[in-house]
Amino acid sequence: MKKKKLSLTSLITMTLLMCGAVIMIFPFLWMILSSLKTQVEVSMIPPTFLPSNFTLENYIFALKTAPFARYFLNSLLVTIACVVITMFTTILAAFAFSRLKFPGSNIIFSVLIAMMMIPFEMLIITNYTTIAKWGLMDNLIALVIPFTASIFYTYILRNFFLSIPDSLYYSAKVDGSSDWKYLWWVMVPIAKPTIITIALLNTIAAWNSFLWTVLVINSTSNRTLPFGVFAFIAEGGVRYERLMAAATIVVLPMIILFLFARKYIVSGVSKGGIKG
Amino acid sequence: MKVTIKELTKKFGDFTAVDHVSAEFDDGKLIALLGPSGCGKTTMLNMLSGILPSTEGKIFFDDEDVTDLSADKRGVGLVFQNYALYPHMTVLENVCFPLRIRGVPKKERIEKAMKFINLVHIEDYLDRKPAELSGGQQQRVAITRALIKKPKLLLLDEPLSNLDAKLRVEMREEIRRIQKESGVTTIFVTHDQEEASSISDSIMLLKRGVQQQFGTVDDLCDNPVNLFTADFLGTPTINQVHGTWSEKGFVADGQTEIISFNVNIPTGTRLIYASRAEALKLNQDKQFEAEILEKYKVGKDTLVRLKYGNGSLRAYTEDKTIQIGDIVGVGMKDFGVFLFEAESGKRLL
Repeated sequence: MKKKKLSLTSLITMTLLMCGAVIMIFPFLWMILSSLKTQVEVSMIPPTFLPSNFTLENYIFALKTAPFARYFLNSLLVTIACVVITMFTTILAAFAFSRLKFPGSNIIFSVLIAMMMIPFEMLIITNYTTIAKWGLMDNLIALVIPFTASIFYTYILRNFFLSIPDSLYYSAKVDGSSDWKYLWWVMVPIAKPTIITIALLNTIAAWNSFLWTVLVINSTSNRTLPFGVFAFIAEGGVRYERLMAAATIVVLPMIILFLFARKYIVSGVSKGGIKG
Repeated sequence: MKVTIKELTKKFGDFTAVDHVSAEFDDGKLIALLGPSGCGKTTMLNMLSGILPSTEGKIFFDDEDVTDLSADKRGVGLVFQNYALYPHMTVLENVCFPLRIRGVPKKERIEKAMKFINLVHIEDYLDRKPAELSGGQQQRVAITRALIKKPKLLLLDEPLSNLDAKLRVEMREEIRRIQKESGVTTIFVTHDQEEASSISDSIMLLKRGVQQQFGTVDDLCDNPVNLFTADFLGTPTINQVHGTWSEKGFVADGQTEIISFNVNIPTGTRLIYASRAEALKLNQDKQFEAEILEKYKVGKDTLVRLKYGNGSLRAYTEDKTIQIGDIVGVGMKDFGVFLFEAESGKRLL
């Protein structure tokens, strides 16, 4: 009796999860399938599920009309720069707030945490003025500078650092280690899973960054992928099959990254809590 | 290396953890810091290692004043109670870490490490991570890591407390052996008097941060300065009977007979008579009578518990005919019998 009840609940759970999975996956699938259809087939009613004749023409068109390779390179450069610098500052800040005792450290940390409540949209105007003043408009550096530190990631990593026993620190100290060596040789390797997780979350955020990019970038050669797709619609008119091809090009790297690093992303979101 | 501490004091706010302790620890000796929990022994160890700055007092390594030297510059080896092995490194990497910090090339540090690895017998699990080791193995690794940089002073914080009873006895002999072979001055912290007396050359007994007595095991057992020392050391615990000094000798509460001692004490002083179990002899040189309450077999000997005054006394005997309920005459040997002032615990005899 008990066993039957259990299997029934697990059946319901499975069904619900599967529905959820289909709802999540279907748009992506639809995007990819649409990108392989012709213009006629895309707008056909009733719609077809699988394309009747596969065509890569949309991809060829998209890659020909817009410099997606350039966009891709820009996205890649910006993302790498953001992630590398952010990780560096995050690790140093997390170490300082978890291990070093300096006057006002708690107050400073509380203020930083409070600043997390300010939405990014509020900061856009001040950031925009700063970037404009520095003469960095329409420059890829403008896409990196505002995103070189993260309070949220610092907070997550600091909490992990705090869980590392003090005795490791003192042991390393007695062994002659400086704070710097202790951080990079002991703490960072121990925190590797957490660091990988926040690096991945940061990568996704940086890759998808759109609003800020549209504000500070003008020239075609400096566009990143999300902006490139947006411009592709704006300039080329709404041709869904072409749009879908462009969108596929944008999300593909992230999907591949997700498939490889699934374990870390899931554990990071479930362990670290609230924000994706 | 000889370690000298002078008036060493550590205060945490109003609380004094270590209170003006002075001592000299001779080169190549194994010294135990002994005391109940919270007596300041770990605090003292941390001050010696440089992890904790001292509030007052001085620490000398040989003739060099190291009081203001930070932990990374003192060149001491330290083994923590929880061993503090780096979880992401293998045994070999853990052992080599102090040399890696000094920038010793990899080949050379492995060569150096192997010497100590053979001394401590951990050669069979060099590629394992600490989580894959038992407590005893982890401890060996921690000791090796502390020894590899050839410290002038090795500090061990409750090195045996995380081990089970059998392994504890094995490891304490192991620590003694390693200490003898390496010849490094070693100070270890323990709350277990048996552990301290079994392996150390000398013991410093602390109580609430105050040094009670510092000397060899025999000094502390045979010549305790106060009741606390007498009570803390020795198995079984020293016998204690409350009483008063009458003109000629000690009278236990609830008894009338006088046990005479050759000492001058003001009449009426409240006293505690204390004697080691092995200092009492039954049915020989009788000085008082007592009733047998219990008897146990302890190895070859019989340990009996006697009712005397308001307390009880333990004594060893080889006499197998003694039965529970017997009244026996009790005599005293010329060692292991003390009189302490009841209030202060000060030794009077």
